[in-house]
Amino acid sequence: MPPPEAKPTPVQPGSNDGYLDLQDVRKEFDGFVAVDDVTLQIRKGEIFALLGGSGSGKSTLLRCLAGFERPTKGRILLDGQPMNDLPPYERPINMMFQSYALFPHMTVEQNIAFGLKQDGLTRDAVRRRVGEMLDMVQLGKLGKRKPHQLSGGQQQRVALARSLAKGPKLLLLDEPMGALDKKLRSKMQLELVNIIETTGVTCVMVTHDQEEAMTMATRIALMDQGWIQQVGKPDEIYEQPANRFAAEFIGSVNLIDAVIDEDQPDYVTLRTQAFPDIIDIGHGITGFEGQPVSFAVRPEKLSIAKTEPAQAHNKARGSIEDIAYFGSHSVYHVRLPSGIKLMANFTNQQRWASEALTWGDEVWVSWGENDGVVLTS
Amino acid sequence: MKLAALKRWLPGARWAVIAPPYLWLIVFFAIPFLIVLKISFARLAIAMPPYTPILEYVDNAFHLKLNLGNYLNLLTDSQYIAAYLSSIKIAAISTALALLVGYPMAYVIARMSPAARNVAMMLVVLPSWTSFLIRVYAWIGILDSNGLLNRMLMGIGLIDEPLRILYTPVAAYIGIVYCYLPFMVLPLYATLVKLDRRLLEAAYDLGARPWKAFLTVTLPLSRSGIVAGCMLVMIPAVGEFVIPEMLGGPDTLMIGRVLWGEFFNNRDWPAASAVAIVMLLLLLVPILIFNRYQQRDLEGRLS
Repeated sequence: MPPPEAKPTPVQPGSNDGYLDLQDVRKEFDGFVAVDDVTLQIRKGEIFALLGGSGSGKSTLLRCLAGFERPTKGRILLDGQPMNDLPPYERPINMMFQSYALFPHMTVEQNIAFGLKQDGLTRDAVRRRVGEMLDMVQLGKLGKRKPHQLSGGQQQRVALARSLAKGPKLLLLDEPMGALDKKLRSKMQLELVNIIETTGVTCVMVTHDQEEAMTMATRIALMDQGWIQQVGKPDEIYEQPANRFAAEFIGSVNLIDAVIDEDQPDYVTLRTQAFPDIIDIGHGITGFEGQPVSFAVRPEKLSIAKTEPAQAHNKARGSIEDIAYFGSHSVYHVRLPSGIKLMANFTNQQRWASEALTWGDEVWVSWGENDGVVLTS
Repeated sequence: MKLAALKRWLPGARWAVIAPPYLWLIVFFAIPFLIVLKISFARLAIAMPPYTPILEYVDNAFHLKLNLGNYLNLLTDSQYIAAYLSSIKIAAISTALALLVGYPMAYVIARMSPAARNVAMMLVVLPSWTSFLIRVYAWIGILDSNGLLNRMLMGIGLIDEPLRILYTPVAAYIGIVYCYLPFMVLPLYATLVKLDRRLLEAAYDLGARPWKAFLTVTLPLSRSGIVAGCMLVMIPAVGEFVIPEMLGGPDTLMIGRVLWGEFFNNRDWPAASAVAIVMLLLLLVPILIFNRYQQRDLEGRLS
């Protein structure tokens, strides 16, 4: 359980919190449950990420929002309006498709104008709006080109302009960076967020890339097997994972099986087979003595030293088995006598700092009483 | 090395690959075409073969005698012009009908599951495995006043006396559309099955109703298939002989029948050759259009 000072923000009725309101949305395909009773409230103006692996149900949920799939049960409300019975062409929702789905036989301008023309706007109004959108995504000069004459990054901006042209109430992004190479990705992530934030549109994106979700989204819903495992801000999900899945999916983590030894309101101790010392947690949790739990601590929270640290608990002795050098930091894999391996990051603040520790060195790994999280599920 | 020296003079493997199609075209297309072209400039003669030579060796000199009379005849005799126009009209209407029937077929097949698609395409192609002549003949049995169709219509009480369909232009249209339908469906299916369904979803997403999405996305993107299918039906249909002869009746005027008449009834080889050459020139226009489209399509995909 997360410590009390960082509860997920509760939904307040009447506020903008439930601008997009999913109530028990379920989608089955021939008995297979793709989306399993998802309830979510998304705020107005928020960039919300559905993060999960393949088969987690995130894409199906997005297609339910766009109207390409009909939920088996449950309700979808946008700005108080029920969406379930509206076909995609009547929803005030536009989507930027994975690998963009730009119309290959139309120019950039015609692509952006497509949605506007469906609304029966005058030719002048369409042209003006297309010009605005092209300026917004900085493609002013490329309006007459065909999609195949553009680079990947340019195509992405055309797709964004096309999906924003109608001023939708909700913008959907399906794996927005999926078709770009890694270098371009980090640049476009921030650019996309900037454009979306200028328009103020509420946005739901689907991605399998945790880095992308954490960079772009204000809040993330972590999905697995049709379930939402955890909803929270990027730092909440990283620092206070709700369960083992959340801890392991995002970033890397040391998971240690343990049992609650002493359960007090202001501290908890755990016993483990992994090392002789007890684990001391600096706050209370809801559990009972003898309950099996997992102790999760991120590699960057572990300190590594050749001498025994002064602290009473939260330390283990082992030998360095592997070193992974990443330039900015190194990851040491420390094998404890019990056979359990712990990963500890070491920031290479000084040049050649990583050379102080080497394979086979006997070291102490230690952490603070608030650095780890106790997971009961 | 003797072997190496020999190898230099032997045609390489590259030629073995490139040559056969060219040889094929020369032997079975270029030479027959030149022979027909030559005959079209000759005069009718009671001889064996029944035309005059156009190149004669008289008085130590070659004399080239080109007779343009056959071509002038085509221009002046209204019967030929009427036959050409009628052929093009019948071919064009048949092509349009085949497109109207074939597009929905190809569309539905392309939307089926991959397993069902193969079965459906098999069913489209399967009739072509039997003889063309037999299939046309079967239509006589269907369209005859005493045939299947009339008996069925009278059986359910829709008509009192048999419809006269056989030996009218309508029967020729039915025959041409039926026989050439696979040539329309195949290229249409090939383009429609490749069509990215997400493009349609994108159109819906942007507010296009299904019919509008079809007109603005599916139809323009299947244009290369439409052009290919229309050419594959139109070009052979213009010169069609068997179907109008067997189903069409005397008032179905088509150039193929005129050609047959000139050649076999009048035994006027030069006139028949001229008719054939002009037909070829007429067909060249749509063939060139077709090639241009195909090339553009290819270029678009490569870039």
